[in-house]
Amino acid sequence: MKLFKNCLFVGMTALTLLGAAKITTAQETDQVGRSTYLEALKGKKVIFVPISQGMDLNQAWVVVWQRHAARYGFTLEVRDPSGDTNAGIRAMQGAIAEKPDLIIVQNPDVQTYARLLKQAQAAGIKVLQVNMQSATQTDSYVGNDWIEMGRLEMGELAKHCTGPNAVSHKVVWLAGVQTGAANIYMRTGIDEVLKANPELQLVSDQPADYMSEKARQITETVLQQHPDLCGIMGIWDNAEVGAGAAVAAAGKQDQVTIVTNGAGSATGCESIKNGLLDVIFNFNAPIQAEIAAQQISELLQQSGRQAGSEKTIFFGPITRVDKANATGRNCWKLDELK
Amino acid sequence: MAGSGKSDTARLGIKMSQELVVGVISAVLFLVFSATLNNFLSQGNILAILKNVSILGTLAVGMGFIVVGRGIDLTMVAVMVVGVAFSIWISTWGVDFTLAVVFGAILVAAIGLFTGVMVAVAEIPPIFATLAIASSVYGSGRIVFASDVLYAPSGIGWLKFVGNGTIFGIPMSVIIFAAVAALMGFFLRKTRFGRLVYATGDNPNAARTTGLPTRPIIVTQYVISALIAYTAGIIMLGLVTGIDTRLYNSSLIYDVLLVVVLGGIGLSGGQGGVRNVIVGTILVGILTNGMTILNFSYTSQNLIKSVILLGALAIDAIINPRDEQTSQSGDI
Repeated sequence: MKLFKNCLFVGMTALTLLGAAKITTAQETDQVGRSTYLEALKGKKVIFVPISQGMDLNQAWVVVWQRHAARYGFTLEVRDPSGDTNAGIRAMQGAIAEKPDLIIVQNPDVQTYARLLKQAQAAGIKVLQVNMQSATQTDSYVGNDWIEMGRLEMGELAKHCTGPNAVSHKVVWLAGVQTGAANIYMRTGIDEVLKANPELQLVSDQPADYMSEKARQITETVLQQHPDLCGIMGIWDNAEVGAGAAVAAAGKQDQVTIVTNGAGSATGCESIKNGLLDVIFNFNAPIQAEIAAQQISELLQQSGRQAGSEKTIFFGPITRVDKANATGRNCWKLDELK
Repeated sequence: MAGSGKSDTARLGIKMSQELVVGVISAVLFLVFSATLNNFLSQGNILAILKNVSILGTLAVGMGFIVVGRGIDLTMVAVMVVGVAFSIWISTWGVDFTLAVVFGAILVAAIGLFTGVMVAVAEIPPIFATLAIASSVYGSGRIVFASDVLYAPSGIGWLKFVGNGTIFGIPMSVIIFAAVAALMGFFLRKTRFGRLVYATGDNPNAARTTGLPTRPIIVTQYVISALIAYTAGIIMLGLVTGIDTRLYNSSLIYDVLLVVVLGGIGLSGGQGGVRNVIVGTILVGILTNGMTILNFSYTSQNLIKSVILLGALAIDAIINPRDEQTSQSGDI
């Protein structure tokens, strides 16, 4: 009797399992909404017009987006003007003429593409701006909250350069390109902090043009004038290593605090470890890229939505990185992202 | 002072005057800044001025050498960034960095040789040949290296010395600039080859008809200017630990040309020398330094710079009006 009972139990269990397996496979073949999603993305065309694909943040973005494109069957073409604004205008005009489903653009400054972006949306092409905004707002912007970035960096200097123990109250703002969105908005944030800390003294405000040698030259000259300089803030870790080199050459690494922001690549962490930089506000380009990838999916799915009819903004995360946490995810390498 | 163009006092006059005008403007600016700006006259700031123009000056010595021979080398910045980036790139395969720098020099010399052949043998006008080659060199570099900014491996002793070392208190970058300038000055003034460069620049057809080896001379010039550009790149690598290939897109090449023309080396060739380059470099150095100290905005800096440069050229035009000879030899 017991044997019979056991057999029955085993048999029923087996049947139940089989049945369950059958149901599961049926569900797997049709995850709710997946086929609609795949259909919406499949064969769509996305064109990216960067400032220059040679920059660390751009490389991280494209690695993430290409993976997304390969997985879900849309194409991503990169039209790299390599830092040449005129070539960028031609690339934008070409992209509009091709009528892709989406244009992703990183603006060299707030004006250059402003009209072209309007034209693109008028032609029914959706536009996603990344990290560098234009004066024209489009369907979506994914990137930094630059005013907050200016506030964070100058706030960091305010911590070091105010109060009785500060070397002096003298700080330097090594700008990038003065017409660039990052520059304009960061300045607003900087001014807020300067207003709140009237003792801070901005002794130099010069654009280094995102070039390390220019940053080095300005810093060297300013250090001659203000040997008691307390802090320097900049706009891109790869440029501010020049400022770091000038400070190191003057033997003032313990005196001058150098704060900047960056995409979070390993080279930035190296610069912190070498003592060329003190703090990087890391905007983690791979995470930015994932947020943008989500936006790409959303904009491609909403085929009925008119280009430019709704405008959204997504600010990415910002992490303060110094010697203590310059490791792991705060220091990505391109090969590891692939 | 003397020693050049003994046979042609008129040309000597023109050259001296332009140089003098720029020299006087530099002196005036120097006095004004010294009187009005704190610490401008300090030893540290004077060294900073020289250090900040060492790269520009080194490049201008190479450009001046080419312009004297009635050429122009727009490849210099491209060759500088790609040559140095190439040596960093091969060092990432595990090649010893010093050896990689030698390989970089070989590549750069080969590019210079190619440019020289294009100009001298294929007889493509140098402005077009070098413009096109600059673009291809930079483009190939961009494809190969992927990144704009390349960092030298850390812990290279001699490279640190180039960046931060001093001899008798003078920064190495300034010493290298001075050495390149001195060598070039000696080469142009004292060697037969140098005199042949002047002859070729003054009148290429006459030089060739007289039996001078103009083609080998021109080819050698471009190889040398490429190597000088590479030297400037190594100085930069020492100073800031990395090389930014986007410099190709900056106005650096025009600044270099400006220093050369401002100093008084006519684009029509055959005149001027290293001293002109130094005078032009020093003016730009003093101006930039003073305006950075004064914290002038970028736009007003550019405005003031162009007004002073235009002024220098205008004063020269008034003191040395165009004559038949200068208008015939032609400017760009």
